[in-house]
Amino acid sequence: MTTRLRIILLILILSMLIHMILLIRNKKMQLQYTLTWLVLMIGLAAVVFNPNLLGQLTRFLGIYTPINMIFFVGFCVAIVIIYQLTQTVSVLSEQIKVLTQKVALLEKEVIVENSEEQE
Amino acid sequence: MKKLVIIPAYNEEKSILGVVRKLQQDAPDFDYIVINDCSRDNTEQVLDTNQINHVTLPVNLGIGGAVHTGYIYAMRKGYDCAVQIDGDGQHDTAYLQEMAAELEKTGADMVIGSRFITYEGFQTSFMRRVGKTYLSGLIRLVTGEKISDPTSGYRMVNRQGIRLFAGDYPRDYPEPESIVTLLRAGGKVKEYPVIMKKREEGVSSIGPWKAVYYMVKVTLAIIIEKMRPRTVRFEK
Repeated sequence: MTTRLRIILLILILSMLIHMILLIRNKKMQLQYTLTWLVLMIGLAAVVFNPNLLGQLTRFLGIYTPINMIFFVGFCVAIVIIYQLTQTVSVLSEQIKVLTQKVALLEKEVIVENSEEQE
Repeated sequence: MKKLVIIPAYNEEKSILGVVRKLQQDAPDFDYIVINDCSRDNTEQVLDTNQINHVTLPVNLGIGGAVHTGYIYAMRKGYDCAVQIDGDGQHDTAYLQEMAAELEKTGADMVIGSRFITYEGFQTSFMRRVGKTYLSGLIRLVTGEKISDPTSGYRMVNRQGIRLFAGDYPRDYPEPESIVTLLRAGGKVKEYPVIMKKREEGVSSIGPWKAVYYMVKVTLAIIIEKMRPRTVRFEK
């Protein structure tokens, strides 16, 4: 790994980390959903500071070249994150359904009460 | 006996008024509630100007979510019997009295209006009937019960059924899945022969391309339903 690439990677990781922390601080992102990304960043940072890790991991997984290992691991991480999102979307959609029904039924009760008061 | 008709309506401005007026004539002892599933046409105005009892969902939930709202309403208001009919007029409300009598007489928890007992009136296409036979077979395999018209949206339930469906109701294509849920809870299902009309307005919610999705989704839903622990048990 060239020094240039290591610097570029480090800048990328740092700017993403700062961006994420800012979003969490401004309550535009929830900490619980950022943990996977955090793990990914720590992993990348470890590789930047110790490029030998890459070779070791590649051999450990039985993959021929480090670049293939990167693709493989990156793909796996992306799948995990998307899987988590699917789960979250399902929960959200169920919550929205319950809220929608509550709001609709409450609205009806309020309208009935109001019309009874007027009479 | 307090009886409620649940009418989910999505973009039914042309037919909803006729459906409600006919219902009031055919079954004056039934209350009704229209669930306007966030229609984009003038359904809401039609309901308002004609003072039709309705609930309006602020977000479109689909047929299952709309009907579910109706069952929650029935439960809260303490109804003894609830029946769902479509807002497009394909379910003839002339059968309501007979179906309610059947529910009381047989002590069933659910009475389904079935097109496939006498095979009269508007019949669906060949492919639909293949699908229906398949679903009947699947339900029989999973529950041991024979249901001739598992996709019929014309169904009536008693108090226990209302409680079950108010608790949870499948989101989309709910008909076959909810029959299995009810049977697994120990409910008794009876079928009553009805003649269904061709839809008056609008288009069916299931197009040719959705048919495959429908069969896969419903099959998986029934199998997964079988894997769920039984949380509700009906009293005999």
